[in-house]
Amino acid sequence: MTDPDLDDDVLVAVRDLSTRFFTEEGQVNAVESVSFEIRDNEVLGIVGESGSGKSVTALSIIDLVESPGRITQGEVWYRDAELAEEFRDTNASVVGDHLDLRTVPERVRGSLRGSSFSTIFQDPMSSLNPSVTVGEQIAEAVEVQRRASANPRRTRSRTAGYGLGQMIVDAVVPSRSYTSEESHARAVELLEQVGIPDPADRAEEYPHQFSGGMLQRAMIAQALAGEPDVLIADEPTTALDVTIQAQILDLLRDLQTEEGTSVVMITHDLGVIARMCDRVGVMYAGEIVERGRLEDVFDAPVHPYTQGLLGSIPDLEDPAPRLQPIEGNVPSLLDSEMPEGCYFADRCPKAMQDCLEPIAEYDAQSGSPEHAVQCVLARQEFDPALALHEDGDAEVVADE
Amino acid sequence: MSQGRFVAKRTLQGVGVVWGVVTIVFLLRFITPGSAINAVAPLDATQETREAIARELGLSKPLYVQYGEYLFDLVQGNMGFSYIRGQEVTSLVFSKVPATVELAVAATVVAIVLSIPLGVVSATRRNQPVDWLATLFSLAGISTPNFWLGIMMILVLAVQLGIFQTSGRAVAGVTVLTSLVGPRSFLDTLVLWLQHITLPAIALGTYFTALITRLTRSGMLDELGKPYVRAARAKGLPETLVRYKRTLIGGAVITEAVFSWPGLGTLVIRSINLRDWPVLQGSLIVIGTSFVLVNIVVDVVYAYLDPRVVNE
Amino acid sequence: MVSRRVIQNLTSEFRDSFLAKLGVALVVVVVLVAIFAPFVAPHNPTQQNLDASQLPPLGFTQVEQKTTSEMVDGELQTVTVNETVEAKLEHPLGTDGLGRDMLSRVIYGARTSLIVGVLGTLFAAFVGVPVGLIAGYYRGRVDDALMRFADVSLAFPSLVLAIALIGLWGRASVPVPDPFVALGLVSGMPETFVLPGTVVVVVGIVNWVWFARIARGEALSLRDQEYVKAAKALGANDSRVVLRHVFPNAITPIIVLATVQVAAIILLESSLSFLGFSGTTLSWGFDISQGRDYISSGQWWIAGMPGLAIMISVIGINLIGDWLRDALDPGIEGEGGGA
Repeated sequence: MTDPDLDDDVLVAVRDLSTRFFTEEGQVNAVESVSFEIRDNEVLGIVGESGSGKSVTALSIIDLVESPGRITQGEVWYRDAELAEEFRDTNASVVGDHLDLRTVPERVRGSLRGSSFSTIFQDPMSSLNPSVTVGEQIAEAVEVQRRASANPRRTRSRTAGYGLGQMIVDAVVPSRSYTSEESHARAVELLEQVGIPDPADRAEEYPHQFSGGMLQRAMIAQALAGEPDVLIADEPTTALDVTIQAQILDLLRDLQTEEGTSVVMITHDLGVIARMCDRVGVMYAGEIVERGRLEDVFDAPVHPYTQGLLGSIPDLEDPAPRLQPIEGNVPSLLDSEMPEGCYFADRCPKAMQDCLEPIAEYDAQSGSPEHAVQCVLARQEFDPALALHEDGDAEVVADE
Repeated sequence: MSQGRFVAKRTLQGVGVVWGVVTIVFLLRFITPGSAINAVAPLDATQETREAIARELGLSKPLYVQYGEYLFDLVQGNMGFSYIRGQEVTSLVFSKVPATVELAVAATVVAIVLSIPLGVVSATRRNQPVDWLATLFSLAGISTPNFWLGIMMILVLAVQLGIFQTSGRAVAGVTVLTSLVGPRSFLDTLVLWLQHITLPAIALGTYFTALITRLTRSGMLDELGKPYVRAARAKGLPETLVRYKRTLIGGAVITEAVFSWPGLGTLVIRSINLRDWPVLQGSLIVIGTSFVLVNIVVDVVYAYLDPRVVNE
Repeated sequence: MVSRRVIQNLTSEFRDSFLAKLGVALVVVVVLVAIFAPFVAPHNPTQQNLDASQLPPLGFTQVEQKTTSEMVDGELQTVTVNETVEAKLEHPLGTDGLGRDMLSRVIYGARTSLIVGVLGTLFAAFVGVPVGLIAGYYRGRVDDALMRFADVSLAFPSLVLAIALIGLWGRASVPVPDPFVALGLVSGMPETFVLPGTVVVVVGIVNWVWFARIARGEALSLRDQEYVKAAKALGANDSRVVLRHVFPNAITPIIVLATVQVAAIILLESSLSFLGFSGTTLSWGFDISQGRDYISSGQWWIAGMPGLAIMISVIGINLIGDWLRDALDPGIEGEGGGA
């Protein structure tokens, strides 16, 4: 067991996490040796193009990677004094109040979903069951957590007091017998909290009667049902109109401040990151290539990919000259096709001979141990003489 | 995926299914009430005969050895021995195959000849009397038990009008062809053949006429004018063919029973009534295997006609 | 779960479609007749009356040749007389070879057909739907095994598999007391109803794969829905996700399939009892096989009436199937008949 070296304010620490998909075409390295921390009361942003492994990273934290995918290595440390005490003398890895969720039984990880980790997905239109009223669905999420917390964690069963037979009956005959009056009242409260007008009436409606923005609010209400420590928001605004996007982001920010919930914001949109986040990790081809405090990464990006991303944000005052998309596409992530050196080298305007060698550890930048970069340029200046790409389009990247 | 790989993959899958068919049929012997020996020996067999049969079949050996030997015999074309009939199962079963194939082909011809014009008329003259009639006919056709239809046809066309024969198979279809050169009169043979095969072919073909009419009609109505019409057909047709083939054999069994047609269906029913399990097992294997074979042929032919299927 | 939108579609389609109304009317009549058979049937369907055998249905007359021989002047003379048999009002559909009332037999036959059709379908659904849902939801090896098994069992036509299984297992039947007779509400009717148990089990066994296939297909597509992912991420366990989010949204195609399967199983049951593989002697298929012997002498109604009854019931169910399919459009076609 490696020493995770965790501060007290670290709620979740992901160390060296890899997730692979074993497909017919070959092994896909969706997430590769990723490390980051989620601290109390902060918003962590994970940014990258689609296919860079952001969403799989989120699913890996809550252990919901689906076959043919599998978490192949890594640690997910979670701070929970009670749980840590419970597992201290077992095979599970425990350090202080933190324990490594990868070493506890699946049942325990399952019990943390909803109560410790909650997730909001990209498309609100399809994230709610179309045949159940919105209020009923939120009340169910409340009820699942209520029943779970009524039982000691070791014997936790999500069906406690509610047998399989009853569930089958409910599936066939529409009924409300699973949820209670209290959970319905709580559902209405939650809807009010996320800013839905007339929450009691809207609770009786079906998802198709809601607008996209309202649905995303309802989704957030549902995610808050278990009073989670960490709220993982996977592209929560991508499917929404620009004005609605801003409202949803404000709502998330407010909730984070009020409830003290830590938020993991997964997005391809640097504007969202800039608006919301305290710290940020930039993902490329399954790796986090640069991470650190927002101002460090945005003001002094080191990795050419980060520089490129920042260069591709339209600047409102001077739009045209700065709009510089990064050429090429995210690589396939097929294990057999991955280069030995830096994955970004073939798109990188500053690629050098050294970039073809296997990459070493992260390097600290900006005089802060938190700002870490996985790039040759963190150690040496760009030398045009060693450049890989002769067209010398290094100027494409905006040099701050 | 290349065409060649598709054919190979499909064949390999088919072999797997046939293996499953054979295994299930082998296991049928053991879900019989009473011991496996009762399933094979004639009911009136003496104790010595039973023991001799048990020795011959190796019933005292472990199950996997029996299974291995069973597969080994099958591969060599040996499906066992019917102690009740005193006959080799393989030759018995295969002697019945031509009659069933003949009936199935005749019924298919009836179905195709009748259904395609019906379906097209119905779809192009929508909501006209012709369409209503075709709809009614196809609805009645899929809702009528074909054995009953057969009996009613016997009543009207054979008993009352005396045009056709009520039962049996006087000449094989092949004999009609050979009579062109042979000693028998071609016309007489043809008439005799038609007298026997017409009613069973119609009784069996009506259901499929109705089924195909419904499919062509709904197919044409639903898909006319939609861009994915051809893609949808491409996926739908093999499925329809598979279902057609499956119900065709089931229907043939009972049609044979009504018209005393000496085919596989009659053999299956008789061997159950005689408790002649080896013959039943042999018939099931032949039926199951032929189904798999036809499916592979249909798929492969289809893959050549429409290469998109290969990538499904 | 059947949502409001589904019910709206169903009612509007029903209003517009004459055939849907016809189908519902036919099925309602058949179901009521089957349930209240002891009240509806004019005679005990098993009571023989050789004096009134082979009576034609109302509106028909039957000419029978009767040969009598008598001694005339010491010589034996045979006289053939054409005798006209008139229909009798008390036997509107005529009588069979043993003088049993055809109408009563057709009415009681509806019980057998419907009970086997419904119980067989339920049995098939109870086995097939959970297996299909589990296979589609978990995918992987369970799914592969199911699909291979489905391939194998689909290689046998339903009728062939059914007669093989019944041949091996025998024809067990269960006498069930008729509640109306037991309560003393009617008298003179059969006290028990014979449920052909083996047939119910066997038709279930040969048909469960259809339910498994459709449930699997639905589970496969529903498991990737965002709301299923969302429910899992919020702490619902697998059984809750399957039962709350997958099964209810898969239920409409399953209902359509079930309707088609009832029709298919009624046809299958009639084939089985026609071939003598049923455990009851009070069924449409059995009567058709009895009536077959009278075809050559022209008594068509003994086989004809039960056949018409099958046709009418199955048409009714198929019309309901068409209505559901048009209204719900789940994009499936059941196996249909398959007799």
